[in-house]
Amino acid sequence: MIGDQKIIDFHGHTGRQDTYNMIDDPAAILHAMDRAGIDVACLFNIFHPDGTTGNDITARFVAAHPDRFAGFAYVSPTMAEGMVAELTRAVDELGMVAIKLYPPFTKWDLNEPIWHPIYEFADERGLAIIFHTGTDPHSDPGLLEDCAAQFPNANFVAGHAGNVAEPRAAAIKAAQTYSNVYLETCSTFRTPGVIEQLVNEAGADRILYGSDIALMDPRSQLGKIITADISEEDKRMVCGGNAARLLGI
Amino acid sequence: MTSQFTFGARVPVFDANVRVGDLHYEPSPCRNRAQLLAEMDRHGVERALIYHAHTEEVSPVDGNRFLEEWLGEDGRLFPQWSIMPTADSMAQVRGLHEQGRVRSVRLNNTRVAGLPFRPWVHAPMLSWLSENRIPLWIPVPDTDPDELVTTLEAFPELVTVLVGAHYLHALWVRPLMNALPNAYLELSRLEPLGDVEALCSEFGVERFVYGSWYDRYAMGTMLFYLHHTDLSDAELELVCAGNLERILQGEGAE
Repeated sequence: MIGDQKIIDFHGHTGRQDTYNMIDDPAAILHAMDRAGIDVACLFNIFHPDGTTGNDITARFVAAHPDRFAGFAYVSPTMAEGMVAELTRAVDELGMVAIKLYPPFTKWDLNEPIWHPIYEFADERGLAIIFHTGTDPHSDPGLLEDCAAQFPNANFVAGHAGNVAEPRAAAIKAAQTYSNVYLETCSTFRTPGVIEQLVNEAGADRILYGSDIALMDPRSQLGKIITADISEEDKRMVCGGNAARLLGI
Repeated sequence: MTSQFTFGARVPVFDANVRVGDLHYEPSPCRNRAQLLAEMDRHGVERALIYHAHTEEVSPVDGNRFLEEWLGEDGRLFPQWSIMPTADSMAQVRGLHEQGRVRSVRLNNTRVAGLPFRPWVHAPMLSWLSENRIPLWIPVPDTDPDELVTTLEAFPELVTVLVGAHYLHALWVRPLMNALPNAYLELSRLEPLGDVEALCSEFGVERFVYGSWYDRYAMGTMLFYLHHTDLSDAELELVCAGNLERILQGEGAE
């Protein structure tokens, strides 16, 4: 908590990625969260195209600390035939509260029809979907406009808010155009003024704090919000208020 | 430290890595000295070591000249001159040194010019820096790690500050710190989970300096992070100012 505000980190990973020294050690994650007052980290596993393997890993991770972690379901259109069944299992049986998608691990733009069964599932259930977005053509956040228009009951979150200037502008435009588009903040590109730009142009009620834990330390990414030149009310919404509303937690 | 929605440093801060001025392809959001000082004040930063953006990819010689207008006389902004192994660049920095104005230098990104960081190119410059106890800042993202280690091993007295290591360098930060006992690590981009505490524990807090790399990155981010680690206030003060002061006085980590 910061004051009386619950702090929710909307972007985190389970699974090791030793090539970047990313170790999903729950003790280390909780220690970093505790140091900065982060209450809940949202976690997903993007390393297994079947969805099932990674979702089970995430579910075990969450089950060990259910008050501190929330699980997001992952599926991939590289194994499209099982996507909806796995989403159903992950949400109904494992208790996952949102969906993570990673277009760079596929050969399809995020608005192509092969993804639509996922969006239909989210639309029926009113779930949020967070995407990796950035310079990769499959992950162009401008494509979220198509999705947001076709599936108005789902919420579409541009992870990294496009990461750099040009896709960030597309992400902001999507959020300005569609009320079911949100922008998440984690990025190694900590360009001055970006948080202020997101809040001022898309609205504080549409911005979500995320860290990319365990690849990144959540403290620096939280510091990006806390030290931004925005109001305390805006910081409260970005750091947890919006995520609590979106996830119902 | 309990988090709040407002933040200001609780120890004296001397930022080891601030860039000023425009890049040739991108104007800086910070237009002048007054704006830089205002941004420092907003985060509780007292002093900063600054270099000019023009030195990065165009000209260290001209960029160093452009740096002068930022310095002022209030003792808050300290010059870091950029250097490359050419006659003009060396002559400029030697001249500044004769005036007693060189406390540190920054290695120009010679990769832009296709120049390897090898002794046959850099040895005369590195020898001069070592003899005069002038510490050298080296941007890690611009440097080949193997060149870094094999070249610097020949200059064991030279103090270096390795700048901007991030998650893509996570596998070689530790071997690098082991191989170069006179190297410090600047922390502007060191975001792997828990690594600030882990590295300080493994190598000693004396080998780390806080830098923001503003205006390339937002100024307060890493300072907030450092204020929410396991470091004691005494350790935090070393990382945020004390170690840099010692380096600029020509004292190495050993």
